[in-house]
Amino acid sequence: MLADRTRHWRLLAAAIATLACAWLFILPVATVLLSSFAKRWGGTVLPTTLTLRWFERLGADDWSALATSLEVAAAVAVLGTVLGLWLALTLEERGRERGGALLDLLVMVPNGIPSVVLGLGILIAYHDVPPGFSDSGLIVLAAQLALVLPFCYRSAASALRRELVVLREAASSLGAPPAMVLRRIVLPQMAPAIRSSLAIAFAISIGELGATMTVYPPGFATAPVLILGEVERGYYLPASALSVLLLGCALLVLIGIALPWGRALAWSRTGRPSPAAKLASQ
Amino acid sequence: MSASDAAAITVTRASTWRWGASLNLAAVTLLVLLPLIFYPLLRLLLLSVTGDHGLSLDGFTSFFGGGTVWSVFGTTMLIVFCSAGLASLLGIVLAGLLFFFPVPGTGILVRFLELFVAFPSFLVAFSMIFLYGSQGAISLALMHVFGLAHPPLNFLFGFGGVVLAEVMFYTPFVVRPTMASLSLLDRRLMEAASSLGAPPAMVLRRIVLPLALPGIAAGVILCTLLTLNEFGIPLVLGSVKLVTLPVAIYSAATVDLNLHAAAAMAVIMLAISLCLYGLYRHLAGRQLRLAR
Repeated sequence: MLADRTRHWRLLAAAIATLACAWLFILPVATVLLSSFAKRWGGTVLPTTLTLRWFERLGADDWSALATSLEVAAAVAVLGTVLGLWLALTLEERGRERGGALLDLLVMVPNGIPSVVLGLGILIAYHDVPPGFSDSGLIVLAAQLALVLPFCYRSAASALRRELVVLREAASSLGAPPAMVLRRIVLPQMAPAIRSSLAIAFAISIGELGATMTVYPPGFATAPVLILGEVERGYYLPASALSVLLLGCALLVLIGIALPWGRALAWSRTGRPSPAAKLASQ
Repeated sequence: MSASDAAAITVTRASTWRWGASLNLAAVTLLVLLPLIFYPLLRLLLLSVTGDHGLSLDGFTSFFGGGTVWSVFGTTMLIVFCSAGLASLLGIVLAGLLFFFPVPGTGILVRFLELFVAFPSFLVAFSMIFLYGSQGAISLALMHVFGLAHPPLNFLFGFGGVVLAEVMFYTPFVVRPTMASLSLLDRRLMEAASSLGAPPAMVLRRIVLPLALPGIAAGVILCTLLTLNEFGIPLVLGSVKLVTLPVAIYSAATVDLNLHAAAAMAVIMLAISLCLYGLYRHLAGRQLRLAR
């Protein structure tokens, strides 16, 4: 009887979890997707006629905003990952004592503050200083880089586990120069972390709104800024079309990051995965 | 090479290594953290306490003198209280169900939740316009089914819509830390208690909750912090009457071009957010130590 009751609970839990996931994750994306193909959606429960007109009508500013979004996100992902790795390696070598814990707290600060506040700080600090900085996409890049830094640092730091350090120390004690240790041991070990860091930075950057809206100079609006402008003016269906393109591009890039490039490279070079990569994947 | 020589070389190497580490630490602080995070926040702080003629608290006084400030504060706190409260309740219940009655696919779901951090919140709010708006799919469907003369739903552009969107968006942020803190629990304790005859409710109340509480509290605090900092959802679904702090900061800085007032508000928000964030880190750290 007890087992029977547990089974009932199990089924109930599965049903609730499925419903919640459909409601929370699938419904919003499906709605935006459907509306972008709808001739009109209003007055009927579901759109009656499907069309591609909203995609065909996307203007030059839509395409340039999409391009800006992708460029900025790519730059943020690469730079954020490099800086995150550097921070994690520095803080790890420092250890927890003598300011290490304090610095760890300080790196994580952007996680705790509103994106608008961080954007405002960047705007105030750099709106007039270096010419060519605040009126280019660079200020958008700086604001988003500050926002993703904690995520990239966390990804890199979580991969620097104690048992992996042994290999690095062995290599340097056998006389490998630091550059060689970095290239042959640390980077292969960190491949999964680098991948997740690239993915999270790219995804955050591509949907970022608060900091970008606060700092962006004329001509450097990202796709989310444009989408929000259209939503506020009531142009819902064109906004859906641009959102679908943005989400589609983001999905393609994220899949690209998740593909096993590293293993393919290791294979082409040596014919078998490097021992460090094997260890790191365990 | 004698033993003392070797020892001397090791010492030199160790000390160069330590010097290199210090240099590296200084470089990373000066080149990354300072320009990207601390200099901007410092300038923000400075701007909030300067007026047109040197040091002044005009930003703060004009901010607190105006009648709108308390309504902005009140709106923000009410939205945060309702949405973080509901999202926490829903998230804890969901996490408990998923943890104690795992179904196939739970693992994939939990990994998926980690990517959800990056989903743009304004798109969730935007999609709700098609579903829950007065002319939205659900409203019209209800009208057809019950033969109503007017669309029954008319809450979206306002308090109700903002809270619903924030609950939808932030529930996963509670599910993840709650499940993480439950998975840190020692299962033997629960098994021992139930084998000694404790009913499930008692196991939950006397063993699971006390041990998982810091982690659950950390999730709730994080959710509160994120709803406080939320910008996209109130921008899409809010109105002139429903302005939250981040939206007020944004419009003071870019629409009214009053940077002093914007900086003053931003500094107050910074203080509140950092306190909440400190509390979150403290609780999350305690859960880890408790589990060890």
